[in-house]
Amino acid sequence: MPGLDEVSDSKSDGLRTAARHPVPRGEPILEMRALQKKYGAVEALKPATITFLSGEIHAIVGENGAGKSTLIKLLTGVIRRTSGEVFWCGKPVQLDNPQEAIARGINAVHQEVVLCPHLSVAANMFLGDEINNAGLMRKRAMTEAAQSVLDDLGFNLPAAATLGSLTIGQQQLVATARAAMRGTQFLIFDEPTAYLTRQESAQLFRLIRRLQGEGVTIVYISHRMEEVFELADRVSVLRDGTHVGTRKIGETNDAELITLMINRTIEQIYHKEHFPAGETIVETRGLSGPGFQDVSLTVRAGEIVGLYGLIGAGRSEFALGLYGRHASTAGEVYWQGRKVNINSERKAMDLGIALAPESRRDQGLCLNLPIGLNINLPIFKRLTRGLTINRQKEIENADRQIRDLKIKTPSRRVLASAMSGGNQQKIVIGKWLSHGAKLFIFDEPTVGVDVGTKAEIYRLFARLLENGAGIILISSYLPEVYELSDRLHVFRRGRLVASHDYRAASHEEVLTQAIGV
Amino acid sequence: MSAETVDSGTGPAPRKGVSILFGLTLLGLLLFLWLLLGLATNSFWTPNNISNLLRQGAMTAILAVGQTFVIITAGIDLSVGAVVGFTSVIVAWLLAAGVPLWIAIILTLAFGVLIGAFHAFGIVRMGLPPFIITLATLTSLRGIGLLITNGSTISITNEAFTNFSRADFLGVPSLFWMVIVVAIPAYVFLHLSRFGRYLFAVGSNSEAARLSGVNVHRTIYLAYILSSTCAAFVGLLLASRIGIGNATQAEGWELQAIASSVIGGTSLFGAVGSVHGPLLGAFILATINNGANLLNVNSFWQRIITGVLIIVIVYFDQLRRRGAR
Ligand SMILES: Nc1ncnc2c1ncn2[C@@H]1O[C@H](COP(=O)(O)OP(=O)(O)OP(=O)(O)O)[C@@H](O)[C@H]1O
Ligand SMILES: [Mg+2]
Repeated sequence: MPGLDEVSDSKSDGLRTAARHPVPRGEPILEMRALQKKYGAVEALKPATITFLSGEIHAIVGENGAGKSTLIKLLTGVIRRTSGEVFWCGKPVQLDNPQEAIARGINAVHQEVVLCPHLSVAANMFLGDEINNAGLMRKRAMTEAAQSVLDDLGFNLPAAATLGSLTIGQQQLVATARAAMRGTQFLIFDEPTAYLTRQESAQLFRLIRRLQGEGVTIVYISHRMEEVFELADRVSVLRDGTHVGTRKIGETNDAELITLMINRTIEQIYHKEHFPAGETIVETRGLSGPGFQDVSLTVRAGEIVGLYGLIGAGRSEFALGLYGRHASTAGEVYWQGRKVNINSERKAMDLGIALAPESRRDQGLCLNLPIGLNINLPIFKRLTRGLTINRQKEIENADRQIRDLKIKTPSRRVLASAMSGGNQQKIVIGKWLSHGAKLFIFDEPTVGVDVGTKAEIYRLFARLLENGAGIILISSYLPEVYELSDRLHVFRRGRLVASHDYRAASHEEVLTQAIGV
Repeated sequence: MSAETVDSGTGPAPRKGVSILFGLTLLGLLLFLWLLLGLATNSFWTPNNISNLLRQGAMTAILAVGQTFVIITAGIDLSVGAVVGFTSVIVAWLLAAGVPLWIAIILTLAFGVLIGAFHAFGIVRMGLPPFIITLATLTSLRGIGLLITNGSTISITNEAFTNFSRADFLGVPSLFWMVIVVAIPAYVFLHLSRFGRYLFAVGSNSEAARLSGVNVHRTIYLAYILSSTCAAFVGLLLASRIGIGNATQAEGWELQAIASSVIGGTSLFGAVGSVHGPLLGAFILATINNGANLLNVNSFWQRIITGVLIIVIVYFDQLRRRGAR
């Protein structure tokens, strides 16, 4: 990275970390001994003993709320352990603040991107570690250095752009670049591919392998088994906060891991039932709006219409446009054969459209409010009798969704922010299930959701279809849209570029159309 | 469960769990202060002083409740003190012009509604930060009030009006009854109705609220109108109490109201708050002022004590909230 060298000091020497190996490859670099974490009465991580070997890729899998993120936060000093010990290069360490972890070379890309949306990409990458000249920040130097790191990683991202203007997936890549460039020995990824497209995931995997080649130890958390088998050397399984085992990747398989994770077997994840297509629920003709142009498609009762594309292809924008969040600039929408003008979210909901949006943190949840309130938010009008809310019904509905979706919480009163990522996603879905609708738009509904619950959610889709609803399913995870969609539309740069019937095209074909080569 | 909030159903209503503890702690603090002052002075537990205390606290309490609605939406209303002064002028002016009492009262409250609607308009349509738009009205309203009165005061000769604030009902000052008149509907509104839930949702994440079908703009209008109307109501009470309309009255009351609200557990980041908290907060502040007067503590010290108290209470509230991090 020549661009970097001009301005670098010892801290920002890019990705070249191999020179400072603390322990030889294959020897323990970090050992957790009976490490435990309690949140009040909740034991998020029961005393766990796991050893990470220098230079390995170590995957961690487990259901939602199993304690994976908790483990990561402990190792990066984001939260404090309740008891237990951590040994780094053979010596006990405290790790009770992020600075200490970073100083030792432990970095993480967290599940939820925790960066500053108002700052530039470059400023975020250097945050807390700015290049300065006698106290003055060297903005240009930072932008150039950041750009060369991004280019070097093969991420096609502008360093000068405001972080908030990027998609969640792209922000995740920025977070990755940030972690990768700070003299890392030990790098943790918490579900990094959740919001990435295939192409971006491939870039990320190349980066991970490269870092491993340089001697960095990688911890990789994912709900996607195929990624674990593709990348990892060893895999540890957590269940309900308990470490239930560690396996060499060559000595285990899908089924064993899933059984370890959820203590039962599932024969089929992609649950697909075909229903005879009913009347047309919605039809768009040449609909255009901010971020999408000229989209014509129909959704009929009993079918799932899948939208696939790279991130930024305009699928979510189309969904928001159809939902009345943004005004459309051209084209028409027909609702059950009648021309309608959906100019507000309320209007969309009153017609019978529900939208579970893409970003649970920014659009889906009121994080510092109770789970119950989040679930009931769309239906308070219905729960109101006279002046006040019918408390009984409010409680019943919240509890039913928590039960049906197996949201792992002691009570509906717990704040949404105290939920694990996957459980937060379930709250977003539960909210719209309780509202009910003719047309459900699910934008990345299974991001961060574990295998067992995924299967559950797909089964739920079938129930909705059976009851005469239609579904628009947006996903960047090709197997999901591919296996579930009765009709699959491919988006590229804001346009609908191809459509296929159920399994009519191959994965490769769909991918090529999405990338547009 | 440390993460539990203020609620018994699914809304942030103050019933069970930790919040009741916090409420009880505040109540305990208030009673403790009363006990202490009772022991330290002879004059605290006299009917006269208690009435006085209740009157003092009542007006801040009503302002604090209105302020809390706004803070829950993650906003702030700096104008309430100025609205109190301004509306005292309006009612005095209307009465002086011979407008019948009831009409004068209704018109004054209508001014409160208008001011609140103007704030919301500035925030929603013009995209101004709440801090700015309410700061602007803070200074302008004082100016308009002074223009109307030409810099002086308007006396109120209507006996029925001025007697009200001195009257007692069932042995309790009528001003204190006004707190109850405001607090009960406020409680129903904030904790039992869906609009209350919407305030919390908008304060927590307005985009999520919007996508859930909540009319975010209307909710903001509601919050600011309620705050200004409470302030106009206090303007009426103040005019009745001092018998004049004067635009420079109630200087700094917005800070008293915000302090009461915050002492009562409202979070300035939005989405956390109740009705009973600010009420207790207001009476704690009033007690401190009252006690300091009785003990002949220098009024400069009163201000310092109030500041320290805000820090201590909010700090402990933060600790409680963070729970077992
Ligand atoms: N701040 C908190 N307060 C209370 N409980 C918490 C808090 N954070 C997490 N928990 C609880 O700790 C448990 C483990 O959560 P964690 O985030 O580690 O799960 P996870 O394995 O990462 O799940 P996911 O796959 O859904 O991301 C969950 O039951 C969760 O509800
Ligand atoms: Mg997690």
